Amino acid sequence: MTSLAVKSLWARKRRAFTTTLAVVIGVSLVAGTYMFTDTINQAFSDIFHDSLKGTSVVVTARQPVTQESGEVNSFSDRILPTVRKVPGVRLASGTIFTPGGLFKQNGDAIGSQFSPKFISSHLPDGLESLTYIDGHPPVNAHQVSLDKGSAGDAGVSIGDSIRVAGQTRAKTYRVVGLTQLGNTAFGGAAIAQLTLPEAQFVTDKVGKFDQISVAAAKGVTPTELRARVEKAVPPNVRVETAQQNADRATNDIKNNLSFLSIILLVFAGVALIVGAFVIFNTFSITIAQRVREFGLLRTLGASRRQVLGSVFAESLLIGVIGAALGLLAGFGMAKAIKALFKAIGADLPSTALVVQNRTIVVSLLIGILVTLVSSLMPALRSTRVPPMAALSDIELPRTRTRSIVLNALAVLLCLVGLVLVLAGLLSSSKDAGKSAESMGLGAIAVLFGVSLWSPRLVKPLSAVAGWPIERLRGLAGRLARENAERNPARTAATAAALMIGLALVAFVTIFAAGIKGSISSAIDKNFQGQLVIQNSDGFSPIPAAAAKAAGKVPGVDTVSSLRYTEVKINGSGGKPKVSALDPSTAPKVLSLDWQDGTSNKTLTGLRNNQMIIDQAFADNNGFSVGDPLQMLGQTGKTPFFKIVGTVKDNADLLGAGIVTQQAMGRELGNKDDSIDLLKLAPGANANQIQDRLKAVMEKLFPTTSVLNQEQLKKNQEDQVNKLLGLIYALLSLAVIVSLFGIANTLSLSIHERTRELGMLRAVGMSRRQVRRLIRYESVITALIGAVLGLILGCIFAALISQPLKDQGFGLTFPVAQLIVLLVLAALAGVLAAIGPARRAARLDVLEALAYE
Amino acid sequence: MTDPAPQQAEVAQPQAAADGTIVQAREVSRRFGEGDAAVDALTDVSVEFQRHRFTAIMGPSGSGKSTLMHILAGLDRPTGGTVLVDGTEITTLDDAELTELRRDKLGFVFQFFNLLPVLTAEENLILPLSIAGRKPDQAWLEQLIKTVGLEDRRTHRPSELSGGQQQRVAVARALVSKPAVVFADEPTGNLDSKASEDVLKLLRQAVDEFDQTVVMVTHDPEAATYADRLLTLRDGRIVSDDKPGTVDEVIELMKQLD
Repeated sequence: MTSLAVKSLWARKRRAFTTTLAVVIGVSLVAGTYMFTDTINQAFSDIFHDSLKGTSVVVTARQPVTQESGEVNSFSDRILPTVRKVPGVRLASGTIFTPGGLFKQNGDAIGSQFSPKFISSHLPDGLESLTYIDGHPPVNAHQVSLDKGSAGDAGVSIGDSIRVAGQTRAKTYRVVGLTQLGNTAFGGAAIAQLTLPEAQFVTDKVGKFDQISVAAAKGVTPTELRARVEKAVPPNVRVETAQQNADRATNDIKNNLSFLSIILLVFAGVALIVGAFVIFNTFSITIAQRVREFGLLRTLGASRRQVLGSVFAESLLIGVIGAALGLLAGFGMAKAIKALFKAIGADLPSTALVVQNRTIVVSLLIGILVTLVSSLMPALRSTRVPPMAALSDIELPRTRTRSIVLNALAVLLCLVGLVLVLAGLLSSSKDAGKSAESMGLGAIAVLFGVSLWSPRLVKPLSAVAGWPIERLRGLAGRLARENAERNPARTAATAAALMIGLALVAFVTIFAAGIKGSISSAIDKNFQGQLVIQNSDGFSPIPAAAAKAAGKVPGVDTVSSLRYTEVKINGSGGKPKVSALDPSTAPKVLSLDWQDGTSNKTLTGLRNNQMIIDQAFADNNGFSVGDPLQMLGQTGKTPFFKIVGTVKDNADLLGAGIVTQQAMGRELGNKDDSIDLLKLAPGANANQIQDRLKAVMEKLFPTTSVLNQEQLKKNQEDQVNKLLGLIYALLSLAVIVSLFGIANTLSLSIHERTRELGMLRAVGMSRRQVRRLIRYESVITALIGAVLGLILGCIFAALISQPLKDQGFGLTFPVAQLIVLLVLAALAGVLAAIGPARRAARLDVLEALAYE
Repeated sequence: MTDPAPQQAEVAQPQAAADGTIVQAREVSRRFGEGDAAVDALTDVSVEFQRHRFTAIMGPSGSGKSTLMHILAGLDRPTGGTVLVDGTEITTLDDAELTELRRDKLGFVFQFFNLLPVLTAEENLILPLSIAGRKPDQAWLEQLIKTVGLEDRRTHRPSELSGGQQQRVAVARALVSKPAVVFADEPTGNLDSKASEDVLKLLRQAVDEFDQTVVMVTHDPEAATYADRLLTLRDGRIVSDDKPGTVDEVIELMKQLD
């Protein structure tokens, strides 16, 4: 029976191939995700370990709250003499390793937009981990070295001048050396090395270090030395062996990036679910077409179990081949994902592709399981074929109980799904991960429920989708629609595969439009000023000196900055972001949406021990005006702030709450500006002043950019669009899988209707008309899926945006974009039909007529 | 020899020339396969079909009767010889031209009705016109529907019609575009005797009343008696060409062939 499975698969190679592809794509995304993230993790691990070559013990500042931005505290350089005195220390040196900006003389940035550009200090021999492959290390206040990778990308060579921008004015240095760290490619990141005093100066850390690297004397183990150093230094610094430090850093990165693999795996899951639909449908149809064959087998004495076995053997074969091919394709997929991230400005470091055993095992297992599970139902149906089927055409029995069960199941799935989505929504404030999981599962349940129910929707939907085609194309349109309606279950399952992809695309599109809209309206509502200065990457801090410099430009009336830091708040989970304002200037540039408290509704009176919190945050955690709020910040202190008012924070501009900048500096340990808001003098020419400011900023603080309100909105929208592009690219894989499904179904249907096609050709239908007929059927099927998907996407978006309304999320339906999606779906239908249509048109009339 | 009439455009209107040849095969051969395995289905067959005549083609299995019809109808190509249909040499036409020829000048009736299950009886009937993007001549359509006796079945789907009714729709479909010639391939092969009689009468009527030309391949001696002329084939050659006579005579003729 197994050889029969192989033969019957071989006899239907092409279909088996497209069915296999349905598995391959999903599996390749799983494998590619693992390879991609494992490789990044490995690269970071290599970087961290390589960068401590020669170092035994590392002293860094303690970080009570690790910041998502990766910023680290610095500490006083007075600790260094203490460390040097510890017995067993052969060599100890303080160093700087701070993100900043690097620029060519013509102003072009070195390194990619969202990757860190580090300013570091050259360490003495024995501690320095960078290899100088050309030139020499910086020895005076005018020299810099650059890593070879980014120098090459930017076209910088020894002798050129580059500008280094830290937290003070940018300074120009001459490149005297090119460096390399181990064998890792940094991706878009860059490292510039200065002498220690220069690095301290540029990063505004004079008298401070980011790290002290210690080399042990002969015979002293790192562990031993670590213990000795720890005893000698104050408690605000952390002492680790080099190994510990690199491991911790690696783990931090791993944790920070774990969301990446989760998200990528979610997309892989979507592609696999869609693939499962395709496999299910293909098997259902082929089994229905092979009823006679199964009947014959039964007549010849095959048991039900043997029939089942032969179908399972077939699906196992498809699963194994698909999973293996998917694993291989994973190599390409990993590269493609990396390229995708690079395209949106996040070029991640890489090393030789890492393929763990886990990757191989999981990919193969998932591919095989998905195939087997999705062929389970059709395979079970094959066992119900009676021997009589060999003699006459028998429709497989579809019992009444079965349809009742299916309907009940459909309703149940939809209900359970909705409940899960709602449960996720209601708990959204407590644990984002859990509620996202709940909503995701709910959405999947609803999608399955709808697809079970959708055979009933095929007729009305195809009437809608087919109407314009029928109007415009007459007979071909009419026949295409009728053919699509012929077997509603088949059309529904085919369309459902596309529906899933499109529901998600529509959801993301609507959601992104909502985010863009709410950002835009938040900017309109909150920003009283005309111009803003922010980091070109949109999120990194900018030098505090930039605000001062901007204030001196004629025509600028007020400059007020916003600062952010992540803290822990007693009585609330996670690491909420809080913002800090200067109460004396902020009211001129910022207007707040007051909800409660502060009788005069102004910021002006905000004291250093008071704070204003976000209404939604207050509601979710049960805080109210008058309550004291205890926080832990970067200083390690745990100050109390009295809540004096609540505001509605639109588009997460202000975070969980607002404190004064003095308080944030002193108690929470952050003095970096994130964004400067500028109000111009009355009657000033905004364009002119913006140009002036740009000139100043370009010269002094090249990491910043000066934007007017429209540009700021555009800037934010661009970032959303980039993310959207990434998501579209990943979802497109699921859509491609569903197109294979459409192609499969069409081929199988054509196969069934061979004689009809022969007759149509005999009575004068041209090949072109035949192609058109198939194409329209495909378009109608695609549109059924698209319409269902769009409707579901809209419903999901409407539901999930409900709790975000408090945060100023305005739900809007981007009608034009949704229509574009419909058109694209129709075109996708055309695409899917190319192969089947061509084959249908090529049918030989006589053979087709004689076909049975 | 050749019909001197110019090639017709648009809807084919069979010309009224009394003795006009509408289909002519000259030394047509058809060989299937190659080398030792080659089978000659037809060998140098030359035959003419006159307008307004009902011709039956008979012969034992493998005699080449179906192959001959397929070649005359442009569904298959001969390996040798030429075929003229209504003045057009069809063996050199490409697929698009053949398609147009079938659409505009030929009508087909198949053994297995071959109606589209998704269309109503009337829609099936006018299918060739729909494919060509033409509107049916209402009077002609009404007359046809009345002739085939399906006035009250117009909106029924094939699955709601009996075999005989389906085949009558198929005959009407073959006639609707007023083709130069109607080819019928065992039109009664799947019908009971009553339904067969209806269909054969209909074909006879098409020749007598609607000036049609019918070429029918059949196994059924009874069916042959409806024709004006009976061609018999054996081993790829024509062995007799005469009036069909009575059923018994036809049966006798067939026995001699076997």
